Amino acid sequence: MFFRMLIESFVRRRSRKLLAVAAVWIGLSLVIGLLALGLDVGDKLNREMRSFGANIQLQPAEAAVDVRVGGYELVAPGRTVYLDEADLPRLKQIFWRNNILAFAPRLTTQARLAGRSVPLVGTWFNHHVLLEDADPFVTGAAEVFPYWQARGAWPMNPESCLVGAALAQELDLGPGDRVELTTDQRSTSVRIVGVLTSGKDEDEAIVAPLSVVQRLAGLPGKVAEVQISALTTPENKLAERYGRDPQSLTPAEYERWVCTPYPGSVAADIQNAVPGSSARVVRRVAETQGAVLGRIDGLMLLLGIFVLIASTLSIMGVLSSAVLERRGEVALLQAVGAHRADVLRLFLTEAVAIGLAGGVLAALTGQVLGGWLLRVIFDSASEPHGVLLILAPLLGLLIAVAASVPPVWRTVHQQAARLLRGV
Amino acid sequence: MNQSAVLLEYVTRAYPGGVRAVDGVNLKIALGEWVSLMGPSGSGKTTLLNLLDGLDRPTDGCVHVMGQNLLQLDVDEAATFRRENVGLIFQQFHLVSYLTAVENVMLAQYYHSMVDKQEALLALERVQLADRAHHLPSQLSGGEQQRVCIARALINDPKIILADEPTGNLDEDNADRVVKIFQRLHREGRTLVIATHDPDLGRLAQRIVCLRHGQIVEECSPDGSDAAPRATGAGASHDRDVMHVTAS
Ligand SMILES: Nc1ncnc2c1ncn2[C@@H]1O[C@H](COP(=O)(O)OP(=O)(O)OP(=O)(O)O)[C@@H](O)[C@H]1O
Ligand SMILES: [Mg+2]
Repeated sequence: MFFRMLIESFVRRRSRKLLAVAAVWIGLSLVIGLLALGLDVGDKLNREMRSFGANIQLQPAEAAVDVRVGGYELVAPGRTVYLDEADLPRLKQIFWRNNILAFAPRLTTQARLAGRSVPLVGTWFNHHVLLEDADPFVTGAAEVFPYWQARGAWPMNPESCLVGAALAQELDLGPGDRVELTTDQRSTSVRIVGVLTSGKDEDEAIVAPLSVVQRLAGLPGKVAEVQISALTTPENKLAERYGRDPQSLTPAEYERWVCTPYPGSVAADIQNAVPGSSARVVRRVAETQGAVLGRIDGLMLLLGIFVLIASTLSIMGVLSSAVLERRGEVALLQAVGAHRADVLRLFLTEAVAIGLAGGVLAALTGQVLGGWLLRVIFDSASEPHGVLLILAPLLGLLIAVAASVPPVWRTVHQQAARLLRGV
Repeated sequence: MNQSAVLLEYVTRAYPGGVRAVDGVNLKIALGEWVSLMGPSGSGKTTLLNLLDGLDRPTDGCVHVMGQNLLQLDVDEAATFRRENVGLIFQQFHLVSYLTAVENVMLAQYYHSMVDKQEALLALERVQLADRAHHLPSQLSGGEQQRVCIARALINDPKIILADEPTGNLDEDNADRVVKIFQRLHREGRTLVIATHDPDLGRLAQRIVCLRHGQIVEECSPDGSDAAPRATGAGASHDRDVMHVTAS
């Protein structure tokens, strides 16, 4: 009889139940949509935040540590070590290759220009890194340092270069000018195609394609360091412990560390791939990203909670008024002998069914909504989240029960006689 | 005290605002007795019945029904008391809107003991509703709903029947049928308390209790219909012998 009542209640009062299911559905869709967005937003923002610059720096192993013993450098002065440019394609062959978003080598020397000594920086511009089994990977300074601004054009051939904004002003140089660069080894004539603003020491330098600087410095095929922009996960307790003492991790923890793209684990992967290199996490950048991401996540959480509260209240409004409408029925059931628990069980089961139905629908539409938001905001696609498929029905169930039980509970304690009179 | 079906002592039911719908009523109804509650509209008949079935509580006084002190019962115990002792016929029928006639009858079986559809259909047949068994209340006329309500009230063989205007919506034929049911129940020894405006029904009782402004009065004043029969606050009515004849 219990199930009969339940079924009849749904079948014969279809429109009421549909309204209740729709309330749960629509309200929760918003919440789930926001959550879906929140789950994706970290990844997307991480990509966006490359504008903070490189977060891993690759240097020759011996140059990375300034080992000084009693004031003497262990590496003899003048005998600087370099990395081989030919090894750099390996960065796109490592385990975390898809997390390597961009990289640019750097070689610096001093050159004479118009009778004075100026820093000469060599790097890649729109460089095609040839890969064995994939399309060439196009990268360079513009990708690694999105904050570099070139007024004019980027150098596209070995005869062109950029002049730092400060230097350009000092020497009154601009796009179109030809300059003669001279080093101890040789000299070359290049054309300035753009004025560079980087906000750093490049503003005082001539920035030219790497090959030009290699030739002028007499260091063919060599680079002094590589700036790498990698997609990483903000560091957590585990990464911190590894940073303090790698030995303190259990094998399982180590496994997890290796399989998570923490800045440290990506750096270690890179270092293993490039012979004679030492990869260093550029802490400031990595940490800023982590902090900003943490704040964004916090914001999404707050927003999610607000929307959840707002939706919950409106769902509860609809559901509890649907229950209050049936107070006469509650009194009647008690009049024919139902105990409070009997009445509660009936309404509770209905609430569970409504909550689950609305929640399942919301799980689907919420993901669609989240995907749409992601497309609008970040212009990228999202993948469905299994968590939400479970969370949404659960939330629906909780809200529906929370909305239905208190009014039923209050009703079963009221004077049934008064309710039967029609309130 | 054990022989009385109903024992009311100084029972008052006051509503917030000062209305005393039942005002200091003392009433004793013997087991197997048939009592009519009469009185003008608003005199407190429905209120008094609700005090007898435990759906309402007096603001003052004691209520014993079938030997049970209703004031000692909590909500659930009162429900148990009702399903085991009381058959309720409502003035406004009160059927569950999404259940069919037969399902509404089965509902009372369900809370009482076990659902038996055959028996529920039989109960509807007894009130001439076999062909309407699978209709929803909204598809039934007032009189038909009234009869479903009666079938539901009687399905569990209650010891005491509290009926509020049971023939109010019925035509003569159906009213007759209901009266016959009541007479049968009375013969079987059930206690009947029937609130009614209908003098013909009222007159069949062994005793007529008249209410006015919540108080029991000697004389039932006419309430717009035919002159009501003489009533007595307590003791036998002139019909008692007749009833005894039919009972034997
Ligand atoms: N909840 C309430 N609050 C205040 N007054 C009430 C309430 N319920 C009933 N009353 C009053 O109590 C009095 C008795 O009502 P009751 O329904 O018992 O009368 P009745 O004799 O059954 O009338 P009728 O013959 O019209 O059914 C009426 O005056 C009514 O207005
Ligand atoms: Mg009444």
